Amino acid sequence: MRSRTEIPPGTLYMLILKSLARIGPMHGYGIAQYIGQISEDVLQVEEGSLYPALQRMLVKGWVEGEWKQSENNRRARYYRMTAAGRKQLTREVGEFGRVMAAIARLIEPA
Amino acid sequence: MNEILRRIRFLFHRAEYERDLEEEMRHHLALLEEDGRPDAAAHRQFGNVTSLKEESRSMWTFAILEQFAQDLRYALRNMAATPLFTATAVLSLALGIGANTAIYSFMDAILLRGLPVPHPEELAIAEWHAPRRSAVVKGINGSNRRYGKGGFASPNFPFSAYEILRSEKDTFSTLFAYTYAQNFNVITGGEAESIPGGFVSGNYFSGLRVPPAAGRLFGDADDRSGSPPVVVLAYAYWQRRFDGSPSVIGKSILLNNLPFTVVGVSAPGFFGVDPQTNPAFFLPIHAIPTLAAKPVEEARSRFLDDHFYWIEMMGRLLPGVGIEQAQAVMRARFRAFAAGTAATPKDAEVLPELSLAEGASGLDTLRRQYSKPLYVLMIMVGLILAIACANIANLLLARAAARRREIAVRLSLGAGRGRIVRQMLTESVLLSVTGGALGLSVAFAGIRFITWLLANGREQFTLRAGLNWPVLGFTFALALVAGVLFGLAPALQATNVDFTPALKESPLQGSNAPGRRFRPRLGQVLIALQIAVSLLLVIGAGLFVRTLSNLQAIDVGFNRENVLLVNVNGRQAGYRDAALARFYSGLLDRFREIPGVRAASASNFPLVSRYTNSNSVVIPGRTAQPGDPGANLLHIDPAFLETMEIPVLLGRNLKPADLAPATVVVVNEKFASTYFGSESPIGRQFGVGKQPSPLLEIVGVARAAHYNSLQEDSQPVIYLPYTQNLAGLGQLFFEIRTAGPPRSAAGAVRRIVHDASSSVSIGEITTQAQRIDQTISQERTFAELGSCFAALALAIACVGLYGAMAYTVARRTGEIGIRMALGAQRSGIIYMVLREVLITTAAGLLLGYGAARLTTRFVESFLFRMQPNDLLAIVTAIGILLAAALAAGSVPALRASRIDPASALRNE
Repeated sequence: MRSRTEIPPGTLYMLILKSLARIGPMHGYGIAQYIGQISEDVLQVEEGSLYPALQRMLVKGWVEGEWKQSENNRRARYYRMTAAGRKQLTREVGEFGRVMAAIARLIEPA
Repeated sequence: MNEILRRIRFLFHRAEYERDLEEEMRHHLALLEEDGRPDAAAHRQFGNVTSLKEESRSMWTFAILEQFAQDLRYALRNMAATPLFTATAVLSLALGIGANTAIYSFMDAILLRGLPVPHPEELAIAEWHAPRRSAVVKGINGSNRRYGKGGFASPNFPFSAYEILRSEKDTFSTLFAYTYAQNFNVITGGEAESIPGGFVSGNYFSGLRVPPAAGRLFGDADDRSGSPPVVVLAYAYWQRRFDGSPSVIGKSILLNNLPFTVVGVSAPGFFGVDPQTNPAFFLPIHAIPTLAAKPVEEARSRFLDDHFYWIEMMGRLLPGVGIEQAQAVMRARFRAFAAGTAATPKDAEVLPELSLAEGASGLDTLRRQYSKPLYVLMIMVGLILAIACANIANLLLARAAARRREIAVRLSLGAGRGRIVRQMLTESVLLSVTGGALGLSVAFAGIRFITWLLANGREQFTLRAGLNWPVLGFTFALALVAGVLFGLAPALQATNVDFTPALKESPLQGSNAPGRRFRPRLGQVLIALQIAVSLLLVIGAGLFVRTLSNLQAIDVGFNRENVLLVNVNGRQAGYRDAALARFYSGLLDRFREIPGVRAASASNFPLVSRYTNSNSVVIPGRTAQPGDPGANLLHIDPAFLETMEIPVLLGRNLKPADLAPATVVVVNEKFASTYFGSESPIGRQFGVGKQPSPLLEIVGVARAAHYNSLQEDSQPVIYLPYTQNLAGLGQLFFEIRTAGPPRSAAGAVRRIVHDASSSVSIGEITTQAQRIDQTISQERTFAELGSCFAALALAIACVGLYGAMAYTVARRTGEIGIRMALGAQRSGIIYMVLREVLITTAAGLLLGYGAARLTTRFVESFLFRMQPNDLLAIVTAIGILLAAALAAGSVPALRASRIDPASALRNE
């Protein structure tokens, strides 16, 4: 078993939205893979939290799902970011930035 | 908004959404596998697929609602599975909630509801009070009551005081006036009817902000001396008598034989300011002299007499003016007025003091009369509901105990305790809400029953109790609270399980399961409480029933049976003085000829019907003493004492020949002993009221008879010929003694009156016995409702006791089987079960007795010739409860004794 790092609470939506913003429509597995690769396996998206999160984002209208043929000829649900999702992303990134800066100020040696 | 739409769409396409999710997860697993992870590991990584699906789904739905729907379905299934339990629970709740709703609707109507006018909270009623009799108050026409010790309070004022207070512009936007409603002889379309109407000031409707339903209402110009006679009809009367036709506006109706022009109709639902009256029309105050029973001049003088208190006032406060502030201003103005009316400085020592009371609910006569009885009744029905709740809690407790294993399984599989409690509460609230819905029909019947009890044959009895929105809200809230109340304890207890033993427990076992010790104890406490409360209610009912029978057993001093009472007012039809007396004696002669009539007489009001006319007595040669009680007067036809069967003990009775001079009287024993001691009063003379007055000579002494009420002690009474003051002769009540049922003469009486004059209306036809009964309506209502409530409480408590004992026996079947196999006698088993019944019952009775000792004194004022700790009532109640408890417990006890040891042990 590889050691995993828990994704900080509340940031999963942001990570998913950012991934979709960069790559375009992806299916769930693709999103999980992408986050793992880009973070060099530091961030592991638990499937147990990925799908509920995606469902919730569908409810909120931040993403839309569409069934398509995948590269290996399977039917898969591709998620695409909506305008509302883009707004949400901006909001969350801004918020995250503020929090990170605050934390950085606290832990930097003075 | 969109989010809600999406969720709703989900509800309709649920299957599709779930298929999608499942396929998506399969796809995910497949890809994981392709990436070279073994299936098992992939699965593990994925975690619990079902719970994941559940979690994803919960993102979509209104989870709470969804669970609620689930719980509801489950509860309905449960209810259907145990129809007997459900029926018992729902029925007892329906009775409990229905009784509460019915009583509450009376509280709502009498104590809580505001007048149906805009902003009733701005209204204030003027009253005055004085610590002693005030010399400036020479006469009061209207209600007055005791105030503190020896003082008086009254809402009546002299007319000139009203005019002065009305000119005060800084407190009230309007100060309007009215008198209490009285009956008039109304002729419409050739038919005479006796119906109530009220006198109101010209600014009355504008002050109350009541709009017209048709035509116009009064203005100040209508209420002046010499204004043309006008009348405003009440909406209900307009509908009933004129079919709501607008063409009646501008027409005339005859009131006491005088034409009044109808100018308008008041708003629907408006009944004036007194919730206990229901006037059919309103007249300007200045129409009083023309309509009065007294001679016009005398009636007109009341407007000028500063010592005659007769008019009532209510005002609408200006915005921002508090009732205290207004009272300070008005009090000062009225004090100055009252001081100005004192003839001597000594007269000014005691002056009436004005105060303002909240007027939002109208006059408070009803509230004063009924508030305490209503609170007592509310407590009684509250207790009944409490018993019903305890009962159902007990049954649910037993059922929850049976479900302990199931609940333990669910809890150990990870169900949240809150979730299970919520589910059980849903069940109990469903029961109570069903009970509440059914309770509404109980309440509907209850309201009609109580109104009927209180009215007790009175035709013009109005209480506006009904099922309106506030009452329905109360019922719903009550049902919810009841459901949570009786559901919470069993739910909490059932989910508070120690898993291991509960899981190990076999479904058949139970007698020695741990945790058992707590359940029956709580159950028995509930039963004991039910018995205690039932005892309280049964004792209360006993006290009320004995009060009623004490009242009914009173010897009134005359024969109340077989006497028809007929109220006729010939004066309102235009007869006056000697002509009126001739009209009345003509009626009497014809009444006496009706077949089956043994005697007929008349008096200015009936005996024992809360009428009083009392005055001071002056006897020449005797100095007045401070304790002199004065005397009660009754103006009668000479045949009165004979008709009522009041014997003359000394001297002679009145004779028809005494009518014309009208100077001789008969007094009662009490009068004779009070004023003449042991001397013979025959031939003595005395005067009545303000002196000088014509002297009256005593010709006879009659045996004491009740005059005003059943409860009174014997009082001095003078029987005078009704012709004694011809100018003041008004209505008469005819007493017609019949051989058979008195009502059988009613038809003939009506015909005779109609034949004598078609313009005379008959006010009321009733019987002497009923009339007396009406003076104890409240006591009767208490006795009958109290008995109903006690029976209800008893029944509910017995069902509870029976259920609990039956459950205990069922639970202990195995144990009893072993005992019997080991040689226990059947009688021993019966004793064992009954002992538990007796212990619980005894504990409950002890508790109830203590509670009764503490609380029955609160109903002391409702009792007559009884102590609140009346031994007979208490002993009877204890006997009844003991018998009921044993009866309820003996069925399960007998069943226990018939347990077959072999089959009981095989079950184990």
